[in-house]
Amino acid sequence: MVSVRAWRARQLGCLAVARIGRIQGVQLLLRSLAVQGSWNYRTLQGAGVAYALLPVLSRLHEGDGATLARSVGRHTDFFNAHPYFATIAIGALARMETEEIDEEEISHFKRALIGPLGTLGDRLIWARWRPFCLLLAILIFFAGAPWWVVSAAFLLLYNVLHFGLRIWGLRVGWQQGRDVARVLLSSPLRRLPDRLTIPLAAVSGAVLPPVALLIGAGAGVSPLAIISTALPLAVVGYWRPVLVGRLAVAGLIVGASVLAAFGQVLS
Amino acid sequence: MEPSVYLMLAVLGGFVGLDNVSWTQTMISRPIVAAPLAGMLLGVPEQAMWAGVLLEILSLRQLPVGAARHWDVGPAAVAAAAAVAVLPTGTTALAIAVGFGALVGWLGSASVHLMRQFNSRLVVFTGPVAPLRLSVGHLVAMAGDFVRAATLTAIAVYCIAWLSSEVGAASRGEEIIAALLLLIALSLSCGVLTRTMASGRAAWSAFALGALASSVVWLWLG
Repeated sequence: MVSVRAWRARQLGCLAVARIGRIQGVQLLLRSLAVQGSWNYRTLQGAGVAYALLPVLSRLHEGDGATLARSVGRHTDFFNAHPYFATIAIGALARMETEEIDEEEISHFKRALIGPLGTLGDRLIWARWRPFCLLLAILIFFAGAPWWVVSAAFLLLYNVLHFGLRIWGLRVGWQQGRDVARVLLSSPLRRLPDRLTIPLAAVSGAVLPPVALLIGAGAGVSPLAIISTALPLAVVGYWRPVLVGRLAVAGLIVGASVLAAFGQVLS
Repeated sequence: MEPSVYLMLAVLGGFVGLDNVSWTQTMISRPIVAAPLAGMLLGVPEQAMWAGVLLEILSLRQLPVGAARHWDVGPAAVAAAAAVAVLPTGTTALAIAVGFGALVGWLGSASVHLMRQFNSRLVVFTGPVAPLRLSVGHLVAMAGDFVRAATLTAIAVYCIAWLSSEVGAASRGEEIIAALLLLIALSLSCGVLTRTMASGRAAWSAFALGALASSVVWLWLG
């Protein structure tokens, strides 16, 4: 049994699909690229989401400045998600606004999306896909590829998923509206981070020997000695990642400064 | 260094700084892209790529999750590329370039922190907001990020250009120390980034297997 309200919302949605055309879709997509443009500690991506939604809101409330300002003000509230997955929220919010869904419900929906979109994006993109693509590109460089091939290959591989996700997210958000969570739950993207774990770890391991051999060659030590030094050091890094990560960088900065200062004295 | 080169590097630094968080995030800000681009402007893309690769391995462990602070890798990569271009060639120059890049990345992170505090004054509203006011606030914040990254890059390039006039050619001892320094930092970082991205017994086994297989191949290749 469909309630009158739901039926009306659906009708309005159909009208909205006709009213919000391809141009607005492209505008939403382009503006979503700047969703973190005014990132701040109080509302995080709030203003970015409102900025992305502006073309749709302006179109919906054309000629009614007060309602438009109120609607824009609501969307500048706190919001945070992975920037690529934020398009899902932007698409769904645009749809809900066109369906004239209750303000309170839109606010609840927005808050409910923060966790899932953030977690999925952080795990999939920042913790798996980006390092995987970068390490693969580094391996290609060590294999002897020219620098421009390495940079181009990385950008191409990485951005296929990046822009694919943004476009897919906007489309799915727009098509599903407030039901978008169901699509996310059944999406194969949820399992992708786990599937990338082993290849990522293997590529990470594969990068270590060439980098150690090529850098260590400058010290005039035998390749076997270099490898036997590098592997246990990596184990130490794996064992205490936070402390060792900081110490490694701090040590390098201090060491490089000493070398620069030493060179200055010599010169 | 010519003023026009400074300007070009600053503009590149501004764009890659913007790419890091504020706009597009297509990853042109990653050191393996930004460093050779800067190196191309300076005529040393291959050497700059080396600095970019090493800086990449060091910076990969940082995840831009939530409000976490992470290096501003774009300006850092441009600064590292400028360092390899102006310093005498060798492992010592590479170590100084990567160390300098890391320092710039860290300073960049601090400047991003200040920028985010400033953004709170620009785009945090209560009640209704005129669309124009939101657009202006948002775009000013982005322009501010560009200027921040460009200024940071220009200062970093100026500093390394000044330093290069003071640094002479490295001795054999310095080259060995620099190689060991890089070897230790990068080996530790490889372990750190594996644990950060993919922990667990299966991941550890895959890491060990990848490292052993790669060792065999590289030692065999000589």
